[in-house]
Amino acid sequence: MIRRDLEGFTGLVEIGGITMGRVYTSSPTGDHVMGKMDTNIKDSLDHIRAATQELHGAISDAATKRGGATKADLEALAQKAKAAAESAKASLGTQHDAAKKHLADAVTHLEATQKHVTESLKSSGQAFQTAVQKALADARASAQKVSEAVAAKRSAMSTKNPK
Amino acid sequence: MHNYIAVVFDNTSKAYEGLHALWQLDDAAEVTVHGTAVVHRDAMGNFQVDTKETHPALATAAGVGVGALLGLLAGPAGAAVGAAGGAAIGAAAGGAVGITADLVRADTRDQAAGETRFVLGAGQSAVIADVSEDWTSPIDTRMRSLGGIVYRRAKSDMEDDVWFDDYYIPSSYLYPYEYIPSSYYYSW
Repeated sequence: MIRRDLEGFTGLVEIGGITMGRVYTSSPTGDHVMGKMDTNIKDSLDHIRAATQELHGAISDAATKRGGATKADLEALAQKAKAAAESAKASLGTQHDAAKKHLADAVTHLEATQKHVTESLKSSGQAFQTAVQKALADARASAQKVSEAVAAKRSAMSTKNPK
Repeated sequence: MHNYIAVVFDNTSKAYEGLHALWQLDDAAEVTVHGTAVVHRDAMGNFQVDTKETHPALATAAGVGVGALLGLLAGPAGAAVGAAGGAAIGAAAGGAVGITADLVRADTRDQAAGETRFVLGAGQSAVIADVSEDWTSPIDTRMRSLGGIVYRRAKSDMEDDVWFDDYYIPSSYLYPYEYIPSSYYYSW
C-alpha cells in the first residue's frame, strides 16, 4: 500500500498491487510501470488517473490469474472501483471545465466496473468470465476518460500559459 | 489533437526504449498518452503484440482490436483488411495479429488520402499509441533521436473510415499505462 497525502488529493490512498513511483533501477517484474509520481507534484486528477490505471491492471491480473481470482481478490477490486469512483466524484467540482465532462464519464464507467465485479462475485462459469470481461472493459474506459480529462486540462492550461 | 501513432523501430529493444520515452513525455505533460502497445513482425511476416499472459477470449479480442488498429493506421482500405486479418489470426493464436498492412497498401495506392505510408517490415517492431498532443514536435523529435519513424493519423480521420462505428473503440486493447514484459525490462 502506498499512501500519498498531497493537497487536492481527495482521499484515494490505497494503490495496491501496482508499484507507483518505481525507480528504473529496481528489480524487474514485467509488470505495470507507472513511475510518474516522483518527479512532479501531481494534482487530484493525476491521482485519479493513477487509480484507474491501477484498477485496470488489477482486474487484468485477476482475469489472467492461474486458477482464477479468489473471492478476496474480487472483493478488493470492488472496493478499489468504489474508492476510485468516489474520488472522481468528489473531485468533479474542483476540475477545469474542459475536464469535467470526461471525468463525469469516467465516474459512470467506474460505477459500472464496481457493478460488474460485484456480479462476478455471485456468478460462476461463463457468467463469471463475462462479468470480469465487462469489468475490464469498463475499467479501461474509465482510464481512457480520466486520461482525456488530463489532456483537456493540460491543453487548456497550455493555451492559458503558452510555453 | 487526438491522434493515433505508430513508431517503427528496427528492433524490439529500441521499441521499448521508445515506449518508455513516450510515457516520459506524458510525465512531463508534453503530451498525454491514453494507451500503448508494442507490436513485432517476425522474419516470416507474422505480427505479434506483446500482452500479458491472458485468457484465450481476451487474447482473441486483443488480436482483433490491435489488428484493426494497425489497419486503421495504414489507411482507409487497410482498416477493413486489418480488422478481418486481426480477427482471423487473433482467433487462431492468442495475441497474434495477422495483418499485412504493407500488402494492403500496395493495392490501395490510388486511395492515398488518409494513408500514413505506415509499413512494419519483417524483423521490425512498433510502438502503437493513442495520444493527445498540442504539437507533434515533442514526439517526433524524441522518437527521431531514438531512430524511430513516426506515422500518425488523427482520430477524427479514422472515424471517417467506412467501417468505423461507435461500437469499436480502437484504444480498448492498448495498455493505459507503461507495460513492459519482464523479458524486455533490462534489454535497453
